[in-house]
Amino acid sequence: MIRYIIRRLLISVPILAVGSLFAFFLVAAAGNPVAELKAKPGVTAQQIRDLESSLGLDQPIIVRYWKWLLDFLQGDWGKSIALGQAKVDVFESVMRALWITARLVVGAELLAIVLGVSVGVLAAVKQYSIFDYLATSSAFLMFSMPIVCVAVILKTYGIKFNNLLESLGMDRWLSTVSPAAGGFQGSFSEVIFKYTGTYLLPTLSLTLISFAAYSRFQRASMLETLNSDYVRTARAKGISQRRVIFRHAFRNALIPVSTLFSINSAALFSGAIITETVFGWKGMGNLLVQSIRTFDPYMLMGWLMVTATLVIVFNLVADIMYGFLDPRIRLA
Amino acid sequence: MPSDPALNPLGATGLPPAGTVAVATASEFDTTKARKQSTLVLRRFFRHRLAVAALVVFLLICAIGFLGPLFWTVSVEDTSSRGYLPPSAAHPLGTIQTGKDMLAQLIIGTRLSVQIALVVAIGSTLVGVLLGALAGYLRGAVDSTISRFVDLMLIIPQIAVAAILVRALSGSWYTVAFILAAFGWMTIARITRGETLSLAQREFVEAARAAGAKTRWIIFRHLVPNMIGTITVNTTLAVASAVLSEAALSFIGLGVQPPDTSLGLIINENYSQITNRPWLFWGPFVIIVLLSLAVNFIGDGLRDAFDPRQTKVRA
Amino acid sequence: MSTKRNSLSAIALVVGASLVLSACGGGSSDNGGSTGAQEPTGDIASMAIAKGESGDEYTSPEVPQSTDTFVVSTDNPYTAYNNSAADANNSYNTFALAQVISGAYKLDGNNKVLLNKDVMESVEITSKSPQVVTWKIKPGVTWSDGEAWDCDDFYLAWLSSTGKSKGADGKDIFTSANTTGYELIDKVECPSQTEVVTTFGTSYPDYKGLFGISLDIMPAHILEKATGVADVTKLTPTGGDQVALGKVAEFWKTKWNGFDKELMPASGAYQITAFEQNNSVTLERNPKWVGKPGGPAKIVLRGISDQVAQAQALENGEVQVNSMAQPDANAAERLRGLSSQGVRFGASNGLSFEHMDLNFKNKWFADQAVRKAFMQCVNRDELAEKLIRPVLENAKPLGSLVFFQAEEGYTDNYAQYKGDAAAAKSTLEGAGYTIGGDGIATKGGEKVSIKISHTDIPRRKQTVELIQSQCKPAGLEIIDDTDPNFLDTRVSQGDYDVALFAWSAAPFKSSQKAIYETGGGQNWSNYANPKVDAAYKDASSNLDEAASRKAFQDADRLMAEDNYSLPLYQLPNMWAFKGIDKVYFQSYNGALWNANEWVKTS
Repeated sequence: MIRYIIRRLLISVPILAVGSLFAFFLVAAAGNPVAELKAKPGVTAQQIRDLESSLGLDQPIIVRYWKWLLDFLQGDWGKSIALGQAKVDVFESVMRALWITARLVVGAELLAIVLGVSVGVLAAVKQYSIFDYLATSSAFLMFSMPIVCVAVILKTYGIKFNNLLESLGMDRWLSTVSPAAGGFQGSFSEVIFKYTGTYLLPTLSLTLISFAAYSRFQRASMLETLNSDYVRTARAKGISQRRVIFRHAFRNALIPVSTLFSINSAALFSGAIITETVFGWKGMGNLLVQSIRTFDPYMLMGWLMVTATLVIVFNLVADIMYGFLDPRIRLA
Repeated sequence: MPSDPALNPLGATGLPPAGTVAVATASEFDTTKARKQSTLVLRRFFRHRLAVAALVVFLLICAIGFLGPLFWTVSVEDTSSRGYLPPSAAHPLGTIQTGKDMLAQLIIGTRLSVQIALVVAIGSTLVGVLLGALAGYLRGAVDSTISRFVDLMLIIPQIAVAAILVRALSGSWYTVAFILAAFGWMTIARITRGETLSLAQREFVEAARAAGAKTRWIIFRHLVPNMIGTITVNTTLAVASAVLSEAALSFIGLGVQPPDTSLGLIINENYSQITNRPWLFWGPFVIIVLLSLAVNFIGDGLRDAFDPRQTKVRA
Repeated sequence: MSTKRNSLSAIALVVGASLVLSACGGGSSDNGGSTGAQEPTGDIASMAIAKGESGDEYTSPEVPQSTDTFVVSTDNPYTAYNNSAADANNSYNTFALAQVISGAYKLDGNNKVLLNKDVMESVEITSKSPQVVTWKIKPGVTWSDGEAWDCDDFYLAWLSSTGKSKGADGKDIFTSANTTGYELIDKVECPSQTEVVTTFGTSYPDYKGLFGISLDIMPAHILEKATGVADVTKLTPTGGDQVALGKVAEFWKTKWNGFDKELMPASGAYQITAFEQNNSVTLERNPKWVGKPGGPAKIVLRGISDQVAQAQALENGEVQVNSMAQPDANAAERLRGLSSQGVRFGASNGLSFEHMDLNFKNKWFADQAVRKAFMQCVNRDELAEKLIRPVLENAKPLGSLVFFQAEEGYTDNYAQYKGDAAAAKSTLEGAGYTIGGDGIATKGGEKVSIKISHTDIPRRKQTVELIQSQCKPAGLEIIDDTDPNFLDTRVSQGDYDVALFAWSAAPFKSSQKAIYETGGGQNWSNYANPKVDAAYKDASSNLDEAASRKAFQDADRLMAEDNYSLPLYQLPNMWAFKGIDKVYFQSYNGALWNANEWVKTS
């Protein structure tokens, strides 16, 4: 097992190297971060050249990549070269963004999985019931919704909801932007109030769409196991319905969902882009968009290394979980 | 947002993890049998009422996009009206900021979004099937090269690469389509590879090989026809996910750029009008949802039609 | 026009350099602000005038000290304390530092120059040839760590920004974002702690912009302590102790980033007390402030890049003030709609203007008739109507390349260009062009086809779309050339027919020389007119305000006659607030310039 993990990780290294080279070239070749200075009257060509040289922009891209790679291997992730960013440290920025995104994604994903799996199981067990039809159609609908629109709608009606609360003499609850510095203060109930208010809307917009995926997946795989020979055998033996569902079917039906979970989680770390944009959270999505827009290859590299590692790790976890849950599959 | 067809829970195939083999449901290839199968599939599909309704909706949306300009002749470039006019006879959906007609925008946007989705779905299927079948059939060095390549492509999130490339290249609809296709074929390749691995062991393939058939012949005449069910369903689902990926990309401003437009870009430009001029927001929103919903239902129907065994379980 | 796509341009560069302060002063106050009937009380435009303003001077007024926290949002977050370091320089740092760092002069909302009497006794020209300016500091002014705010600090500002200190590789060791004016100062002397004497090599009429407005005065004592250099005033930009100078430069450009309480004291009414990278900076009243304390106890300045999101946060009560250097029609409309909830919205012309340079190297534009026809067919009023008036209701097309609309000396030199396609067509026909069957003008069998090149900002694309429709009837075929790298390589190589972009700096008029004089460093269109050269030369060195202004006006008129560059409009700033008596977006210093005067109203 350990050998398998190590081998899988080793295979990923050259893949990461190629991926980083590719992305670095694309972003560095796409544009010059200091170009905007030209639209400032009186800035001389010499001043721009001096600044470019202090940011290392005067060197060929391949040399810059090579330097970045050497530094990276020694633990130095480099500095931002975007204009106005004061050469902020890449590692710190990426980690900060990752932490912000993690706070959003973890809650949303847990919520989605709990809701999705329970709804999926129920829908499968009570196949063709009203509940099943409701669950199925709402899952189809959510799965077909652009997340942008979900977020925009939630935000708009969140504000209206707050207005309603206020007109009823209560405090405004839901917030539309990320929390400001300093955290939440006040009594315990106040902190809970503010905390839930801050997280609710973005979490909900992430949850809704993941939820659709989980519930559909869980339902399909639950149905499949419920109709499989061993479950039918178990039933025939007179084992109670509840026991059949939870001891026999549920465990096996979880297999594809656990895979979905691992892969989805990795995707969510980068894929919260839209939710972060709409709700003004400065997480990984925001970092990606900013570094692409400002032609900041070092920041992008940091982002890429972290997300790629997450993808690799979560994929590995998925395969290992598969092995645990389904004894027929052996990892080699 | 899961933009990967493999993550589509409505998909026919489950999620084969890397290295494991998907279960093939193919019947052996034979010309007369294939014709019969296609009639059967069609008949089963048309019995699926929801899927037929979805097909009608999908065709209607395509008709709006492709035939709409014949009926609604207001030029999409005409900026002579005032900006943000409310709906009227002259502008049933009002005008946008520059005074362009919203309905004309929506028609063009629908057309380009559908075009993007189709190009992405067909392109990624072609590449995925070809590489997957090659890897599964030839095995050895070809297989490991292709598999590592798939791993590489999967490491970088599709939306990130697409955003980088749009910034580096351009934001015309075909670039966006090409980029989404170029980074969306990996799942189909994996599924095809799995199916090929199992099909390649069958007698009819071995017989063809023994008879001296070329690789190309075997892949296109023997393997692909036997995987047509899986391929069709996945292509359909790729259409739905491409619609949503395009919308996401255009929303962050790193997708389709003017003068081209798309449903995602129209939403980007008008989302803040949700309360003041709701028609500007809900128009493109409804079309996107209907489009992706319809395609998902079509996929559902197709899957049932191709695989009646599973139909018993689900429908 | 969502701004998620143009936040690159949102890094509007800090207003470089100084201004022709004299010309800016006393601008009429009716240029800015929404004066819609729905205003609950008072007039937003009048909020441009500070409470502590009296004549040409400013003194912090007596206002109640509140215990409130106000959250202020702006497009981008604060990044660095030393905003003059070229890699840190951006307007959003200035927005945060306006209350933290004191300077000799400050600007009110109308860009009127006010002597900062909280910290200065006087500033006088003590000799005209050579020009010598003497700056007298009020005794007892200190940094928030208790050290004196004195001549050393002024000296360091000059030392860092002459652009003359070169390393072994010939590169500027400081890379200051802003050398204009400082490079003309030959020496700075400190006869006493509270007196600074600056001697100019070349006359510089804009001296009031130095040491404060164009560049923040950093704490020299902190730098001395950290680098071990005993006295920065012993160093000179060239010659002298190069090792010590190198250490000073290194500290100056790298150590004043982000926030560190030990290294970054305040000399203004507020001090920074907390900082969260990429998100917000917190200001609290500076207990050592020499002026009268007032305003909110705490101000949190947050970066929220999407303007609509800013507006929604204000609507939702999460922030009390919005300030946006990037105009956005959707956000403006939303904020106007909130007036019934007590939200007040304002917009005013900012200090950058969109324009189109016509390239003289282009074969069609070599013919003045084509240049004229192009200017004739562009309907600038429609551009303003559709792109700018949704934000600034009374916006007018800009009629000058040299002056802004509210400035003294402004004349509309482009009034005749009103978007008359028929006139443009007859201009072309009069010059021997024939309109072909496809409606496009031709000469010598070739179609007149013109590319408008610009970066990928939505507003610019909309501009080109509109111009395409406007100029089509005139027989001019306009091609949209969107290139994200246009400003990088192509503009400086003159690789364009028409360059559409904004000059984003302040009217530091002597720096315009580089744009318009023959062979100037930023004259990429090959424009040449000896009379314009002469006018600029006279204007940018003449210490007589009126004469200087007259020369600038001449240059402006001559360029209009040559049909060289078509100014379109000024880009507005916008802001909104709730629960505060007077907030105005100062086009250099942002919304916080008068935060020490804010009083809570509800």
